[in-house]
Amino acid sequence: MLERVGQYLLVLIAAISLNFFLPRAMPGSPLQFLAGEDVALLPAEDRQALLARTGLDQPLTVQYGKYVASLARGDLGYSYQANKPVLTMLIERLPWTLLLTGSALLLSTVFGVIVGALAAWRRNGWLDHATLTSSILLDSVPSFWLGMMLVALFAVQWPLFPVFGAQTPWSNLTGWANVMDIARHLVLPVVTLTLVSLSGTFLVMRYAMLSVLGEDYVRTARAKGVSERQVLYKHALRNASMPVFTVFMLNLGTLVGGAVVIETVFAFPGLGRMLFEAASNRDYPLLQGAFLMVTISILAGNILADVVYPLLDPRVRVQRG
Amino acid sequence: MASSSTSVLTSRAKPPPAGGLKSAASLLLSTWMGRTGVALLLFLLFLAGAGPWIAPYDAAAQTGMPFSVPSAAHWLGTNDIGQDILSELIVGTRVSLSIGFTAAALAIVIGTLVGVIAGFLGGRTDTTLMRLVDIVLVLPFIPLMIVLAAFFGASSGNLIIAISLLIWARPARVIRSSALGIRNLTYVEGAQALGASNLHILWKHVLPGVLPIAVSQFILAASSSILIEASLAFLGLGDPVRKSWGTVLYYAQIRGAFLNGSWPWWVVPPGVLISMAVLGFALTGRAIETALFPRLQQRS
Repeated sequence: MLERVGQYLLVLIAAISLNFFLPRAMPGSPLQFLAGEDVALLPAEDRQALLARTGLDQPLTVQYGKYVASLARGDLGYSYQANKPVLTMLIERLPWTLLLTGSALLLSTVFGVIVGALAAWRRNGWLDHATLTSSILLDSVPSFWLGMMLVALFAVQWPLFPVFGAQTPWSNLTGWANVMDIARHLVLPVVTLTLVSLSGTFLVMRYAMLSVLGEDYVRTARAKGVSERQVLYKHALRNASMPVFTVFMLNLGTLVGGAVVIETVFAFPGLGRMLFEAASNRDYPLLQGAFLMVTISILAGNILADVVYPLLDPRVRVQRG
Repeated sequence: MASSSTSVLTSRAKPPPAGGLKSAASLLLSTWMGRTGVALLLFLLFLAGAGPWIAPYDAAAQTGMPFSVPSAAHWLGTNDIGQDILSELIVGTRVSLSIGFTAAALAIVIGTLVGVIAGFLGGRTDTTLMRLVDIVLVLPFIPLMIVLAAFFGASSGNLIIAISLLIWARPARVIRSSALGIRNLTYVEGAQALGASNLHILWKHVLPGVLPIAVSQFILAASSSILIEASLAFLGLGDPVRKSWGTVLYYAQIRGAFLNGSWPWWVVPPGVLISMAVLGFALTGRAIETALFPRLQQRS
């Protein structure tokens, strides 16, 4: 366990360092981020003042130390574009992304488990073949294109759902009407994300179910004359769900940053979209803050998976203890 | 070269496939997966090779009215600046495939080196390298690509480097476990006992031994790097000079293919091509894996 903690610390350090060194590894002076294209016109003393104010005149090690110290205080800096604290901006966008990716994660897990279990239960049946083939196909289709196709069909061809955004602009809806408005905007991006993440859960569940069905205790149960329904619910399903829990926990980590491309397709005001906009606008503090947040969430998911898994599966607990 | 790699397949891969490369090839074509994959790849390779000669127009030139609907002159219509979409897609095949291919090749070279060294040397080196693999696997993929692209600028070269730096880790891990197995084979231990240098053993025994695994990993890496390139190009992070399939979709999205109803010929075809390429590589890779290592197949 201690080894795992060390490993996560390493990843965190790697992400923080990437954030620090990438802008400095860029050709040209870091001043260009601060002063923009006009940096060449800056008089020498102004340039010096700017360097001193931002600490860029100090040795790299000192700068790195200060950067890490301010991160530790929760200071992610100021966005160039919005002139707002990066942390505030991240927190504004976070709920939208969590709503989008959280709904998709729940749906894909539920459907993945049901379909995976059924496919394994009737191995080599029509459902098994159909779902295996569809999961191969779904894995080959670019997620953003799938989103575009859904927009084309269900927002343009048959205008059942809105084309973009998370709310109808300037409608000032409140209460129930607002909830319904948001829900309608969520349908297409959530369906897209669910479809692209479905095959992972499905394959894990199907494989876990197949191995459980081959175990001795299932055979014994059947030999004892336990009904098929009982075997499915009491023995197979519960035990086969273990690996799916792990996948679910790991996917929790991708909740924050998992939808960059989909949020772009639907112009959805989430964190992923903001990360992309920050990159396009060369808003480096915002970009670094968003990237750090995404990395931390992935680490949190991994840690959660590590902590929860032994609680669920006694065998792992015994091995580790 | 050909004969030595054949002997590698018959004598060293475990479990030994019956009858070497030739039978591996026929095994590859004996399954529907292999046949479909190879057929898709051959079709796309033809488009990539013959692209400029079979494209009806110069893809970069304005050859029609903007937003023309499909006609005998322009089978897939024209885009917002009057370029022939069919020609764009045919010429773009080479861009998409070459970026995916080069990035995958680079990733496999890194992955093989890291995997073989880690698996063969073991100990501290192994631990350090595998920790590095873990870090790369945990870092958020598309966000990191966006950060890299923002800092280094979008060009084919940068894209290839960025993609390969992010996808080498998985093959490295697979190749390491294969190298571990080879290290413990009796004749490798024998060679070591006879005083052969580490470098000699790596080059003569371990590297050829992991080659089959590296090939199937390469094909699978090509599949994912084509998908990644398409996603980045769709975000507008592609090479602005060389249009790939993803770049075509980027312009379709930002120039309102949905508003003016041109999506059936502007959005559908590039997506189908990307999916065909990804599917072709994925099926071929799986089929090669199954042909070389039948035991893997039993898992599914």
